[in-house]
Amino acid sequence: MKRNTVLASLLALGLAMAGAGAARAQDELPAPSPIEKTLADRAAHVTEVTLDKNMLAFAGKFMNKDKDDDKDDKEAKEMIQGLRGVYVRDYEFDKDNEYTAEELEGLRKYITSSDWSPMVHERTKGAKEGTDVYLKLVNGQVQGLYVLDAEPRELSLVLILGPIDMDKIGSLGGNFGIPKQAVKDVKKAQKEAGK
Amino acid sequence: MRQAEKNATWWSAALVLGGITAAMTPAILLAAGGAGVGFDAVVRGIESRYHAHANKIPFMGLISLVAGHATHGGVRGIHIAEIEHLDGPVDGTELNALVAAHMGAGWQRIVRDTSRSGDEQSLIYVKPEGARLGMLVVDLDHAEMNVVQISINPDKLSDEITEHRHGKSSDDSDDKSDEKPDSNESE
Repeated sequence: MKRNTVLASLLALGLAMAGAGAARAQDELPAPSPIEKTLADRAAHVTEVTLDKNMLAFAGKFMNKDKDDDKDDKEAKEMIQGLRGVYVRDYEFDKDNEYTAEELEGLRKYITSSDWSPMVHERTKGAKEGTDVYLKLVNGQVQGLYVLDAEPRELSLVLILGPIDMDKIGSLGGNFGIPKQAVKDVKKAQKEAGK
Repeated sequence: MRQAEKNATWWSAALVLGGITAAMTPAILLAAGGAGVGFDAVVRGIESRYHAHANKIPFMGLISLVAGHATHGGVRGIHIAEIEHLDGPVDGTELNALVAAHMGAGWQRIVRDTSRSGDEQSLIYVKPEGARLGMLVVDLDHAEMNVVQISINPDKLSDEITEHRHGKSSDDSDDKSDEKPDSNESE
């Protein structure tokens, strides 16, 4: 009896730890996908930016203090300091079609799990190029944003984790390695979703 | 010179040296970061791998002290090494591994920008140090490589920048009230 209780307690502890670990993994930036390495090997130019929560808190301190009086800027700064991670990868290729549709699908699946909802999936028929925007929704609140933008000679992926105010998303474009185009894609997606 | 005066002179010199050593210790520790790791180890590793020679900026310790004072502790611990003739293309993965191996514990890479041609490589590593942030930048532009390490206090540096910005804006306007003439010379 006593042995069963100990075993049950250990099992419960194990499950709790596994649950906590899974929740933590959801909050943390992912390890690079194996596909990224093969893309990097083929790319002529690679840019990688990885900022965790601590780095974003530091980065937020550098934002213009002059504008702290401005409510919008202050809120944007607070949003950045509250983010849990920013992960940007940009691959530029010498030739068209240096990546495959399977690789794109792999990159999509690697990040997005059940919490993620597709916001936009824009593709021209028969072409690999296009834009995917995913949102991570937790209790109706945006807790993550993933943009995968595929151009003929460029592939960009942007992953932002943490509470995101979609109205302040513009403040991230051009900062922390996040391409302005990714923010434009998200804004476009927002407009289309609002129609 | 009398013996008492000689003793006083020696004591003054010893105090000055002691003061400089005490002031420089955090910067030296930051650069060293332990045996065989840190800024100097990174530079030595690059020199050894690419058969190049790094030029150190003279009086960098003094410059670093002045910068620390001028920014009220916003920036200090400045180390710069410049390699002017780095022959051959540099493999980004290899350079990254080399830098990572010599950085020491606690450093994390936040930016990597690499070209397959090998003539453009940038790496930025950071290390939180309480309220401060250590930052190491390795930048290769064709045959010229710069390695820079600084320790910054974002709060103090941001305050300093804001102060200068305010100084400049008030100087730009027609109001020439109490602004000191050299207030934005360092802009």
